[in-house]
Amino acid sequence: MSTDENARDDAPSAAREAVVAGSGLVVAALVVSGWSLGFHLDNAHNGMLGLSFTAVGLYVLRMRPRHLEGILFVSVGILHALMFFGRQYGAHDPPLPGAQWIGWIGVWPLALAVALVAWTLMAFPDGRLLSPRWRLAVLAMMAAALALSLMSALWPVDYDRTAIAVRHPLHVPGADRAQEFWEPAQACFLLFQILWTAAIVVRVLRARGDEARQLRWLMYAVVMEIAVLVAGLTILTSPVPGLLSLPLVPVAAGIAILKYRLYDIDPVINKTIVIGVMVLVITGGYVAVVLGIGAVVPAGRGLLWLVTTAVVAVLSEPLRRRAQRVADRLVYGHRTTPYEALAQITSGLDGAPEDLLAGIATTVANAVGASEVVVWVGEEDRLLPAAAWPSAVDDPGCTLSDLDCPRWQLRPVTHHGTVLGAVALRKAVGESLTVAEDRLLSDLVAQTALVIVQQRQAQHLQAAARRIVTAEDVARRRIERNLHDGAQQRLLTVGLELGVLAERVTADPSLAAHVRDVRTHLLDAIAELRDLARGLYPMVLTEQGLGAALEALADRSAVPVKLSVELDDRLPREIEAATYFLVSEALTNAARHADARLVTVCVTRVDAGVRVKVSDDGRGGATRSVGGGIQGVTDRLAALGAWLQVDSPVGGGTQILTVLPCG
Amino acid sequence: MRVIVADDSVLFREGLARILAEVGFEVVAQASNATSLVDLAKQHAPDVVVTDLRMPPGFADEGIEAASAIRSIAPHVGLMLLSQYVEVHHALRLMNDFDGGVGYLLKDRVSDLGAFAVDVRRVAAGEVVIDPELVTRLVGRRREQDPLATLSDREREVLALMAQGLTNTGLSEELFVSSKTVEGYVRNIFMKLDLPPADRDHRRVLAVLRFLRQQ
Repeated sequence: MSTDENARDDAPSAAREAVVAGSGLVVAALVVSGWSLGFHLDNAHNGMLGLSFTAVGLYVLRMRPRHLEGILFVSVGILHALMFFGRQYGAHDPPLPGAQWIGWIGVWPLALAVALVAWTLMAFPDGRLLSPRWRLAVLAMMAAALALSLMSALWPVDYDRTAIAVRHPLHVPGADRAQEFWEPAQACFLLFQILWTAAIVVRVLRARGDEARQLRWLMYAVVMEIAVLVAGLTILTSPVPGLLSLPLVPVAAGIAILKYRLYDIDPVINKTIVIGVMVLVITGGYVAVVLGIGAVVPAGRGLLWLVTTAVVAVLSEPLRRRAQRVADRLVYGHRTTPYEALAQITSGLDGAPEDLLAGIATTVANAVGASEVVVWVGEEDRLLPAAAWPSAVDDPGCTLSDLDCPRWQLRPVTHHGTVLGAVALRKAVGESLTVAEDRLLSDLVAQTALVIVQQRQAQHLQAAARRIVTAEDVARRRIERNLHDGAQQRLLTVGLELGVLAERVTADPSLAAHVRDVRTHLLDAIAELRDLARGLYPMVLTEQGLGAALEALADRSAVPVKLSVELDDRLPREIEAATYFLVSEALTNAARHADARLVTVCVTRVDAGVRVKVSDDGRGGATRSVGGGIQGVTDRLAALGAWLQVDSPVGGGTQILTVLPCG
Repeated sequence: MRVIVADDSVLFREGLARILAEVGFEVVAQASNATSLVDLAKQHAPDVVVTDLRMPPGFADEGIEAASAIRSIAPHVGLMLLSQYVEVHHALRLMNDFDGGVGYLLKDRVSDLGAFAVDVRRVAAGEVVIDPELVTRLVGRRREQDPLATLSDREREVLALMAQGLTNTGLSEELFVSSKTVEGYVRNIFMKLDLPPADRDHRRVLAVLRFLRQQ
């Protein structure tokens, strides 16, 4: 980027307005003064192009400063305006002062102008070319155009084809050889046309979403322009209608560049095709009847018109329907078949729950060609938008009857008579659902009900599982506390009494030994009870959190543990418990089954929650047995929306990994 | 020797008071929670406090909090904390927060009257007492590369006793060796484990516990 461009970026918008207005004025002055010099059909298109491209380009630049396509538009416009003025000036009869040089300006840049237009079309809509290879092609094209223009600047090779009245101002030797070379070199112009056409075709094929719609505007304008030109030439034998409609192309392109979400172009094209086909067929029909039958059957003209009109009237509706189908296929492309639509939904069932309804919205849109689809979920008197196509809908919620208006095709989603939601869709203005689409929509809505039911059940199940785990933890903590305050405390008191007893019976050595034995047994029992209580819910977890609790686990582990806990704060209780029991179970397994020499435990905070990884260097080959300790941990994790990933190749150690979702 | 006993379980507290009286302590007051313990300690100026670690209202570490409060008003009171579990992080905290004269034992220990009385007196005298089970657990902790492997059996024994808070005098009495021999053991252990020398007994316990806690 050059420095003056940056400078322009910093300049106040008044300066930009001045530049825009100034360029506009210069071009307008060139074109208007050009027109005032007389009318030459050969030059008219230059004037039209100069004016329209400059106007649209400047407008684009005013709205979006430094838009590359806008700059290209203005360049095309200025060059054409310059050429137009030059040609008009040079064509004036009698010759005006300096006509030789000024007329010359109108001729030699032709190749550059053609190439510049091609570049502009190729770079539509954002001013960027498709790939570095296309950049190379454009570079080559511009180089060729420059060479052609240079030739034309030096020798009068292109003067024959222009309406210019004056002679070439230069007298460089070798004009004949230049002319010889010029004839085949003109093939380049055809190559330029092929190049930009190819670029647009590739773009249209690759484009998706907004860009596809932008390109459709351009295509529409180009096709209409060609249609008008051809119609003008054949019917009126005049290129004037084509010339007059030339600004249509830059104007449509400008709209496409500045306006996103151009959904309205599709129905326009669609209707144009329908009307065009009908006009063609009906005109053809009249011509055929009047000329064909009129020549054979000697009947009055009035009668023939009458018959033809009757035939047309009878045929028009089926014809319109057929034309509509053709137009639909052309404009909307591939429409999902009912089978495909249902298959898409079924195959989406194993996806993430939140994606399912979005998938349904898209499927419905594709299946019935809707311009907008919203899937509402909730109850009859409170529905919320759960998914929408093409873009998300922000709505605080509404009732089913709110939605029931002519703007929307509304289908309530029900299951066993209960409203679960609604599918609302909109088609382009003037289009309605066909019988087949209607039936397909009903099927899709029925599927939607199943998806919503399934989603709700999944949510209920997880909520229930969470409640169960929470209740279990509450129970574990309560039992631990009861043991601590009750049985353990009582046994300790008994131990204390036995201690007193042991002191008092020293006189009888055998009795004293017996008392000490009893005390030892009692202390063993107390130790076992302590381990049991710790296994239920360790005090240190409640009190000190995960870090201290895992350290305590590592202290007791039968296998060496490398522990890394990176947590800033305490985590929600159920996540701490799930992590603790997961690590505890993994350490037990590593010691008992894996014959591991080292276990590495990593607990880290990640965006999605808490990541827990336990890996050992044991023999691997671990399986999840139903009812095993790891199953309990898996259930605990599932209740929190986490999945346990177990990787245990035989001989390759065991690695278990999970991410617990955590706000 | 004046002692205050604190525990929320009446049975255990009464029993504890009785055995302490039996082995020659003067039980001046009994508390059933941390707040009243602190109040009673202010009133009765005890030589030593024997308290449960987990007490009302929160059943967490109220005993330690109360001990802190008592130590801040009476710096020479011995503090013996009893618990149904012994946790390393509590031991580290006690060694860190208190300048000696502190003990941390399983409640089980009170059933051996004689040994318990000795421990309470040691705490009252400003020494440190750490429960042998906790030390056994730490010494026995499995490590990937065990630095303790460089120690002789005797040195391991000395290390464990040091971790329990025994002073050099205590060590020589326990092991029936001269204080010179003990100093030799201790010097060797510190050198082999690359531990910084500690001037105070509780600092030595802290250093050893921290070392044992390393992975």
